[in-house]
Amino acid sequence: MKPVMVAVALAVMAAAPWIVTDPFFVHLMIIVLMWTVLGAAWNILGGFAGQVSFGHSAFLGAGAYTTMILYLTLGISPWYGIVLGGLVAALIALPIGLICFRLRGPYFALSTLAVAEIIRLVALNWESLTAGPVGLLITTLPAVSLGGRAIDWESKTPFYYIIAVIALGALGMTSLLARSRLGAYLLAIREDIDSAEAIGINTVQARVSALALSAFLAGVGGGFYAMYLRYVDPDAVFCIPLSVEMVFIPVVGGLTTVVGPFIGAVFLVSLAETFRSHFQVGHLIFYGAFMMVAIRYMPEGIWGRLLLMFESRRG
Amino acid sequence: MALKGDLPPIKCAMETFVQSVVSGVLTGSLYAMIGVGLTIVFGVMRIINMAHGDMVMLGMYGAFWAHVAWKMDPFLSIILWVPAGFVGGLIIYRFLLRKIVPAGELNTLLYTAGLSLFVANVALLVWTGDYRTIKLPYAIMPLRPLGIAVPIPLAIAFGMAILVTCGLYWFLVHTDTGRAIRATSQEPEAAALMGISVGRISMITFGLGTALACGAGVLLAPSLYLYPTVGEILVAKCFVIVVLGGLGSVPGAIAGGLLLGLAESLGAVYVSVPYKDAIGFVMFLLVLLFRPAGLFGEGKS
Repeated sequence: MKPVMVAVALAVMAAAPWIVTDPFFVHLMIIVLMWTVLGAAWNILGGFAGQVSFGHSAFLGAGAYTTMILYLTLGISPWYGIVLGGLVAALIALPIGLICFRLRGPYFALSTLAVAEIIRLVALNWESLTAGPVGLLITTLPAVSLGGRAIDWESKTPFYYIIAVIALGALGMTSLLARSRLGAYLLAIREDIDSAEAIGINTVQARVSALALSAFLAGVGGGFYAMYLRYVDPDAVFCIPLSVEMVFIPVVGGLTTVVGPFIGAVFLVSLAETFRSHFQVGHLIFYGAFMMVAIRYMPEGIWGRLLLMFESRRG
Repeated sequence: MALKGDLPPIKCAMETFVQSVVSGVLTGSLYAMIGVGLTIVFGVMRIINMAHGDMVMLGMYGAFWAHVAWKMDPFLSIILWVPAGFVGGLIIYRFLLRKIVPAGELNTLLYTAGLSLFVANVALLVWTGDYRTIKLPYAIMPLRPLGIAVPIPLAIAFGMAILVTCGLYWFLVHTDTGRAIRATSQEPEAAALMGISVGRISMITFGLGTALACGAGVLLAPSLYLYPTVGEILVAKCFVIVVLGGLGSVPGAIAGGLLLGLAESLGAVYVSVPYKDAIGFVMFLLVLLFRPAGLFGEGKS
């Protein structure tokens, strides 16, 4: 993308909380950006490396619980806790990768689903660490002052800026990955893993690196999720629907593109949250419907399709 | 699977063992019925149907509403919902899946995941997320042959599941359509060369798979709590079953279903209650890693 467009996008993002003051829309922007991070996380593994995971809630949950537990028991500020949550998620991802990457295609997808369910059951039953089905709750966030002024955690604006920075970081990482050697390896693996192996790419190492990176971002997103909602329980953060949502956002937005997860999140999350504010339940109808439409009519996703249209106009 | 109502406490070790074997086999027969539906669809079309559990859910709600609206016995309503499931399956295949199948296993996996989320959320919208149960007058006291508690609805479901599964087996072995399904499952190209219309067989197979899922849902409805997202956990169990038995293998799915039922009920007694659901997933991973063709080596991977 052109630097001018990036600058405009940054300016709009920075100014947004002043333009939009309605609490629902601020909340919506926060959720959209959070799902951008989670979608970008999945996109690294599912888009670039072509390894479809149905178990990414395991990493989201690991990040959420790490951040929460570190703050509640050791008093470690969520500022660090969110990053540590990402690291713990990446650490958990290593053994999972070594097990599941022995499988390919749909079998890999099913194995990640099974691993995530096992982790959910562990979180549900390891009560001394996670408080089990009761969940963990925090009432107050630590006082932080910025430029001499205390940050008001009851307002949503600080959360907006935190997640905006994280989301930009996630998309920046994707952009770097797309230009890196690892990114090229991953694309080769996606296209044909046997050929990739044959030309000397260490496919296990490349895929595990992609998974760790992906898990790190999902864990960071999970840490933010915990701090924003101030509550986690195993069925809320380790559940199958969260994993599925993480798949659908980048697929609908545009797999293997940098901006795709953001577009997917804007599109699906705004629809779903607006729907939820009217009907309370069933807001994932759009996820299901647009997933089917996307796979059938535009597997390259919304952003992917737009890019193709630009190119064809230029060429 | 969390069954409604508690079975009475059991005293001696032998009785405990027999009791858990019995309940394992009873639930296992229903697992087998769901698993067979998933595995024939995979065998013929290479579709890993993530929406299979939601078809079971629809069957459960079908039984519930037939009971509430028409005072129909839930088990009797199977004569309505199995044909309805078959026709529904034909329609889903014809209008939704047919064009997706050639795009490969991963695309159908993602597509059916979308279908699953869509169906479950429409159900949430229409029927809300409330837990519902079917109260049957004859379901209050369990049968007690030889001091072993056998819940009556589960016993009826067991008998009917055996009938349906055997019926399907007979159909696959002895009828022309059944032979064509097995042939397509083994070697689609050779089957096409022999004059089998693979498209038609795929459609029929998907209808059968959906009918089995709906039927199993009807049979499960009196024994389980009903809620729209029940399919999520059922579909996860389904994958365990068909992978244990070998993807695409019908006898494998039957054995896998019984095995999972036994593993869960014995695991709850001898390993731990909270982790009983994890046993299936651990077996699943071990089989995928070390015996990808299934425990009996019949499946394809």
